[in-house]
Amino acid sequence: MTHAPVLKVENLQTRFKSVQRGKYVHAVDDVSIELYPGEIVGLVGESGCGKSTLGRTIVGLEKASAGRVLLDGVDLSTLSGAALRNSRRALQYVFQDPYSSLNDRQTVGEAIDEALLIDGLRSADERTRRAKELLEQVGLPHTARDRHTRELSGGQRQRVAIARSLAVNPRVLICDEPVSALDLSIRAQVMNLFLRLQKDLGVACLFIAHDLALVRQAASRVYVMYLGKIVEHGPSQELYDHPGHPYSQMLLASVPEVDPRVEKLRSAPLLKGEVPSPTNPPSGCRFRTRCPLAVEDCALRAPASHVLSPDHNAACIFAPDLHGGKRSALIHQAA
Amino acid sequence: MQNEPLLSVKNLTVDLLTAKSALRPVDGVSYAIRQGQCLAIVGESGSGKTVMNFAPLGLMPTGVTTNLSGSVRFEGQELIGLSEPEVRKLRGKSIGFIFQDPMSALNPVRRIGRQIAEMAELHLNMSPRAAEARALDLVKLVGISDPAARLSQYPHELSGGLRQRIVIAIALAGEPKLLIADEPTTALDVTVQAQILRLLKDLQQRLNMAMVLITHDMGVVAGAADNIVVMYAARAAECGPVDKVLVNPRHPYTRGLINAIPRRDDPIGSEFRGLPGVPPTLGAPIQGCAFAPRCEFAVAACTRARPPMVPTADSNVCVACPVVNQGKAAA
Ligand SMILES: Nc1ncnc2c1ncn2[C@@H]1O[C@H](COP(=O)(O)OP(=O)(O)OP(=O)(O)O)[C@@H](O)[C@H]1O
Ligand SMILES: Nc1ncnc2c1ncn2[C@@H]1O[C@H](COP(=O)(O)OP(=O)(O)OP(=O)(O)O)[C@@H](O)[C@H]1O
Ligand code: SF4
Ligand SMILES: [Mg+2]
Ligand SMILES: [Mg+2]
Repeated sequence: MTHAPVLKVENLQTRFKSVQRGKYVHAVDDVSIELYPGEIVGLVGESGCGKSTLGRTIVGLEKASAGRVLLDGVDLSTLSGAALRNSRRALQYVFQDPYSSLNDRQTVGEAIDEALLIDGLRSADERTRRAKELLEQVGLPHTARDRHTRELSGGQRQRVAIARSLAVNPRVLICDEPVSALDLSIRAQVMNLFLRLQKDLGVACLFIAHDLALVRQAASRVYVMYLGKIVEHGPSQELYDHPGHPYSQMLLASVPEVDPRVEKLRSAPLLKGEVPSPTNPPSGCRFRTRCPLAVEDCALRAPASHVLSPDHNAACIFAPDLHGGKRSALIHQAA
Repeated sequence: MQNEPLLSVKNLTVDLLTAKSALRPVDGVSYAIRQGQCLAIVGESGSGKTVMNFAPLGLMPTGVTTNLSGSVRFEGQELIGLSEPEVRKLRGKSIGFIFQDPMSALNPVRRIGRQIAEMAELHLNMSPRAAEARALDLVKLVGISDPAARLSQYPHELSGGLRQRIVIAIALAGEPKLLIADEPTTALDVTVQAQILRLLKDLQQRLNMAMVLITHDMGVVAGAADNIVVMYAARAAECGPVDKVLVNPRHPYTRGLINAIPRRDDPIGSEFRGLPGVPPTLGAPIQGCAFAPRCEFAVAACTRARPPMVPTADSNVCVACPVVNQGKAAA
């Protein structure tokens, strides 16, 4: 990709005050990512590793303690007033939790209307027409307009939330597990909607998800996050076929099989040991306390990021070996 | 069958009346589950999976009138028509539950540790101190970092997956005989998911706990469940042993559902396979098969009357579809 990224995140850091006095939860630590127009990029990783915090910081829902977020090359922290509002509108966040992202007292029609008003659509007729179109795009019947959002099932709510974020014609969507509450067939509809938005409108999408099969199919590139850091990044097929980080390898090997005869006999790799604390992260490589390959060196310094193939990097001292198939965290674990 | 199943649901129908609308999200569904077993419930979102499991326990939001008919027997006791205090006695103790929405299950202004300990105090008659210790054990059990510090956090300070695990810990605090888990692993990554499923399986064996598992993830179903009920538009479309239904789905809806699972050889950037059309609204009860408008196999008989749930050629598997069942007669 030769053109410029629409979204660039540089050395971003987000921390929260810890319940341990005087300490901080290092939820996002020195993360850099890029998003090009019209691409879907996956962000995967252990639950609690900081994916939502990263997404929320990008759209300005959390305050970064260091680093920059650039939209079309413009540092958002240098903007104010109308310019900032415009940029923020171009950056939309689809929430992980469809329960808290909608106002229970609104009807579906009101929720969408509100978003359309924010986008500056003055004509009521025009808003009605557009609302109908949005509902159709997310696969809800037109009659859903009059229902209260609290009367909807989880999946129905999520589609209303997506329709709302599409109302303002965003350039970048940060989708935080947008389809995990949906059944497979509606999930397919919504995923195809994202694919269309990407192809037809050039919307770029950072796609946070736990469903790795879905991410592989939708995303051209994937970032793997562990305890506040990006540990690996690469083109999705290449990364899935030849992971360079032990965590990625174990994550990919944990995906359950859908054939019960196979799945019941399979033993998923087990991430051993206590989940490390984002307040006091391990020294050196953050994965070392649970890594079956860890050696003394891993505790001494943070592993450098190895370039494994074009645009494929992993931060592990054994990354080239893992990538080349000369070493495996899975075999090591079984032994 | 000599001994009655732990939970036996027969012809359950749920009508919901709100100020503006009346709908029937559960329409004559039957299933049963024995001790130590796991029953998966899958299906279209909005098909009534949550309402079906929670309405009989008196767990419906305010502002809606719930009318139940049919029968739900738990340990031989009929739940339909039971008074609220009696149902409350079962909730949490004999029947534990994990809500689809972890935030609503947690009190936002109270610390996590207190909330878990309370369940243990209430249902296991523990002293506050013992309950605190139990809370710590449970938080460790569900594999959360900084377990001791987590106990003094508030729900909004946790990630989606951490919250989900807290809710699981609370559900397990009372050592229930039946656990109703509504999408317990959707917010979790696959490694944590594997760990939680292993934990649930272990508890199932140790306490002989039965589990109803509502999920959209067929991999989870494949690994955890013995039997499965596939729901479509308020009704059961197919049910039977998991290793039969997932491997050889018969009902056209089940077939479409399984076909929609992304496969390893689906090209990157390719369209996702789904089902054509949209699900029906659940306002008025549907005359024929609710899936007929979307079904490529539909014949006239499908729209005439509601197809009954009947055993197929494999008598362990039941399907509500005249086309499938006619094929059986012909075969
Ligand atoms: N407001 C807050 N105060 C304190 N800690 C917080 C706050 N929000 C998040 N955290 C902590 O930051 C870390 C990262 O949380 P985040 O929600 O970003 O994780 P995640 O990767 O999105 O996880 P999941 O997949 O479970 O949604 C967690 O340890 C979480 O407890
Ligand atoms: N409080 C309520 N008031 C009115 N209607 C409701 C209420 N709760 C649920 N419904 C309706 O009942 C139907 C079934 O909802 P339910 O939550 O059981 O679906 P579900 O199968 O669990 O879906 P999902 O997979 O999306 O969670 C839906 O059409 C929903 O809109
Ligand atoms: S650097 Fe060491 S501890 Fe970290 S992933 Fe690689 S081998 Fe494991
Ligand atoms: Mg999250
Ligand atoms: Mg539900």
